[in-house]
Amino acid sequence: MNLDLHSEMILDEYREKRPLFERMQTAVDGEIRRIVSDNHLYVTAMESRIKKEKSLAGKLELKGNKYATLSDITDILGCRIITFYTEEVDKIAALIEKNFEVDWDNSVDKRRLLDLDRFGYMSLHYICRLPLERCKEPEMHEYRFEVQMRTALQHVWATINHDLGYKTDIEIPREHLRNMNRIAGMLELADEQFSRIRMEITDYRRQVQALVADGDFDRVPLDGDTFRSYLELDPFHKLADRIASINQAEIYRDNLMPYLQVLLRMEFKTLGDLERLLHDYSDDAYQLALHQISGTDLDIMALSVTLQNLCCVYALRKGAGVNGLEFIFNSLGGNKEVNHSRAERIYNQAQKINIV
Amino acid sequence: MEVKINTEGAKTLVELNGRIDTTNADQFQKDITPLMQGDAMDIEMDCSGMDYTSSQGLRIFLMLQKSVGSRKGKLVLKNMKAQVREVFDITGFSNIITIQ
Repeated sequence: MNLDLHSEMILDEYREKRPLFERMQTAVDGEIRRIVSDNHLYVTAMESRIKKEKSLAGKLELKGNKYATLSDITDILGCRIITFYTEEVDKIAALIEKNFEVDWDNSVDKRRLLDLDRFGYMSLHYICRLPLERCKEPEMHEYRFEVQMRTALQHVWATINHDLGYKTDIEIPREHLRNMNRIAGMLELADEQFSRIRMEITDYRRQVQALVADGDFDRVPLDGDTFRSYLELDPFHKLADRIASINQAEIYRDNLMPYLQVLLRMEFKTLGDLERLLHDYSDDAYQLALHQISGTDLDIMALSVTLQNLCCVYALRKGAGVNGLEFIFNSLGGNKEVNHSRAERIYNQAQKINIV
Repeated sequence: MEVKINTEGAKTLVELNGRIDTTNADQFQKDITPLMQGDAMDIEMDCSGMDYTSSQGLRIFLMLQKSVGSRKGKLVLKNMKAQVREVFDITGFSNIITIQ
């Protein structure tokens, strides 16, 4: 590589200051990770790098005259934050503004540079300095660094574009540029759709939580979100306490979510259906537990015994028989030979207490 | 209660024989302590020789399950006799511990 004397001087300065940049990298990287963690932001990756000497030499060869000293080059230290959603890019940008000194004259929002009818590289680039009071060495304040913020899909596009060997649109042959831009447009649309879906799901969860909190169970369809919200109300605790009192047992609060698929397969449609299950079948479920546990010295039980027995007595009262019970156990833990004998045993117990 | 622990590669095989009740639950816990403190990931317990477990036994299985789960491992109880399986079923422990 043929560099002029001026560029060689900048390169010498780079070699001398590289240890300083390494210390800056530790400081900046740590600060960004702290910001992301403290604010519970959802990111897919964070990375930082110090520009390699070869890369810097290439840059100087192309536009060395643009820079008076090394401090004019703003991407010797570069950080990148990749998010899942476009909203996170804006949130992170706001926090970067708050925690670092942003050089607005040199920062670029590539998302706003594109005309309305154009698609391409979309990323937010801030040129920053560590605030003087947070620099462990005052010299750190002299050098700027770049923070790139983009979504995962924007990152995919930029990475592939870079892999193809082009750093700017100007370098890309026209026929390929059109194809790359079409993909950029498609990914932009996908980013927008993912954000919309996330927002709709968040809204749905809020509405459901409100309906559950109001006890408006018949209006709440049974699904993963609603069942989880319902379980937060601890609806089975009375039945659990009643069963536990048989042997003064300790209740181990296990996860009841696996029962969702059983309930759905049994065609429960709303939380209102679950309320009726609890209201109409708790006595039977208790009687079954009483028959099974009394006479033993078992003084620990899982909370799921409540749902287990409710589902069993419901199936038996509906005339589902041994097959119905086996269906419940198969839905819970997969088809196993032992499920049939378990179903037969419970069926026989239920007969003795006149549930069937 | 007899506990035999064998390690075969990444898998730990445990053979259980006899009853777990108030008279020997403490000893059973001591016997399987290496499984809770060690780094065994996949533990397979052959329960074909196990005749009974009391609540103390269930608590110890639960502790082992939590310990193995905390290191992202898996505990599987196999070949359980019907009367032992019934204890796990009526207490809901077959919803917590994998039984094959």
